[in-house]
Amino acid sequence: MRRRRFPLWMVLGAVLVVALVVGSGVFDSTPPTAAQRAAAIERGIKCPSCEDLSVADSSAQTAVIVRAAVRQQIAEGRTDQQIESYLSDRYGSAIVLDPPASGVSLLVWVLPLAGGVLAVVLLAVRFARIRRTALVGPAEATRLEEEADTGATADELDDRRRFLEQSLADAYAEHRAGDLSDADYQALRRRDTARLAALDRRSDALASGGGGGGGGAGGIATLERGAMAGDEGGGAVADRDGAVAPDGVPAPRPARSRRQRLLLGGGVAALVAALVLVVSLFAVNRLPGQTSSGNVALSRQAQVQQTLAQAAALENQNQPGEAARLYQKVLDGQPTNEVALAQLGWLEYEIGVQGSSTSLVADARAKLIEAVRLAPTDYAGRLYLGTVLLQQDGNAAGAVAQFKAFLAAGPPADLLTQAAPILRKAYTQAGVPVPSQVPAD
Amino acid sequence: MTDVAAPASAPTGPAPTPPRRRHTARWVAVGVLVVAAGLTAVLAASPSATLAQVQSPLIGKPAPPISGPTIAGTDFSLPKAPGKFIVLNFFASWCVPCQNEGTQLVAFQFQHQAAGDASMVSVVFNDTVAAARLYQQDQLGATWPTLTDANGKLALDYGVEGQPTTFLIAPDGRVVAHIVSPVTAADLDQLIARAKALGE
Repeated sequence: MRRRRFPLWMVLGAVLVVALVVGSGVFDSTPPTAAQRAAAIERGIKCPSCEDLSVADSSAQTAVIVRAAVRQQIAEGRTDQQIESYLSDRYGSAIVLDPPASGVSLLVWVLPLAGGVLAVVLLAVRFARIRRTALVGPAEATRLEEEADTGATADELDDRRRFLEQSLADAYAEHRAGDLSDADYQALRRRDTARLAALDRRSDALASGGGGGGGGAGGIATLERGAMAGDEGGGAVADRDGAVAPDGVPAPRPARSRRQRLLLGGGVAALVAALVLVVSLFAVNRLPGQTSSGNVALSRQAQVQQTLAQAAALENQNQPGEAARLYQKVLDGQPTNEVALAQLGWLEYEIGVQGSSTSLVADARAKLIEAVRLAPTDYAGRLYLGTVLLQQDGNAAGAVAQFKAFLAAGPPADLLTQAAPILRKAYTQAGVPVPSQVPAD
Repeated sequence: MTDVAAPASAPTGPAPTPPRRRHTARWVAVGVLVVAAGLTAVLAASPSATLAQVQSPLIGKPAPPISGPTIAGTDFSLPKAPGKFIVLNFFASWCVPCQNEGTQLVAFQFQHQAAGDASMVSVVFNDTVAAARLYQQDQLGATWPTLTDANGKLALDYGVEGQPTTFLIAPDGRVVAHIVSPVTAADLDQLIARAKALGE
């Protein structure tokens, strides 16, 4: 039956396609960082000593070795394919979790697709057949019906009558609910009432003893006349259920014209294009590492903020170890998070100075330089880097340059008070007058 | 029209379907049977795993270079063509199958030392050097070189998935066997005999 809601599912389909296309990240033009590439590759590499885990999810020794190898290969400038074949050459092709799309493994990729296409085709054929039988005219329907009725017993005829009556009732309800157009409803009603009329005649014939299994030529001739009467759509049918079926209504509703279909298709295509454009315009403006699907990315960003706040609280409670662990956690997920870089760099510097660890201090310095590079207007990184330059290198001029940027970034008053002694020291050593912004003792 | 809607309480009769039967269930059953039979045939035809000798992409290829510091503090480097069979064994001191295998390896080394046709090389895997040294030198009394492989490079190059893992390297330097279960001296002799028969 042709329903009026027809274009609705097309719109829903269009929305689904747009969501899938945008969500798949094909419009994501930002190239992945080395860490993102490593994470993506590691998710696709099986942990050699595990049953069903990627190296990204495992802390087994073998996974640690493979992860280190992946990162080293990336640093050496290898492509993803080269890295995968490097690992396959050592561990075998099963190390790659996605089976290769070649040889026998190709079946794994092709079979589900082929199955899906086959299922859709079969369904389409089946629905088309149902549609065709449903839309045959009343005369044709009656003829088919009577072919089936020939030789039926009285009980079978009764069953069929109940079915037709139910079908009429259903069509009436659908029409009332607006699911069935006037024309379709009339066509259905004409068809089913014609069938019922034919059934009645058949039952009468059976009751009068003239019917039976081999009805003979006479029986068939009667039935054909009955079919003709039904086809005329006239009085007999209208008399039977007391309703008026307007004459001259074409049984199957004419199909949409070519122009209408073109317009509809073009409209849907334009809608899809517009949606893709709008969503991708909004979707590209995001941080590196964030995905297009807003909710997940948002919650991840919120999680990072929460972790940073927890770490800052721990730092204030004089628990540098725990705080460092949390900052490291943030950096594991977002290697370019400048807040975590600056704070962890500062913690490492303090711990490194206490423990006279040159490697830790060097690591801290690298983190602070990176933090300042990533966020030149962030006051914390500037203060920390200036302090390191002054205390470690005795580089007062370099420190003053950092502290100028620190002051320009508008630090909070309490931090300024806290930092005042080291600022004054740097400015004095460099022979530069201390700015009035710096509070006196 | 209401009188049309009225008989809605009547049960739905059978639809006037064509009397042709389709035997769908039979065909599905035949399909499942064919797939199951195929699977059984494939599994039956695959070699049984008596000695857990497994496929490795390295088999038939030149062995990746074996060199590095040993647990004794010296440096070791195996020539590309060692001129004799080399049994390369990845182990951990805490691993019970490795411990069971250890005495067999000592026996194997002892048997072949005089003839000089085969030799052992061990690699510490998933263990600390101190623990491995204690086990290998003091408990087992192994005299062959044991590499520390601190950064896991050997384990990576050989695609080691767990311990113990043993590779057999032919005198010309090609990998001829990969075993992922504890080996006995007899297993190793058998593998060497087979490799010799194949013209190594």
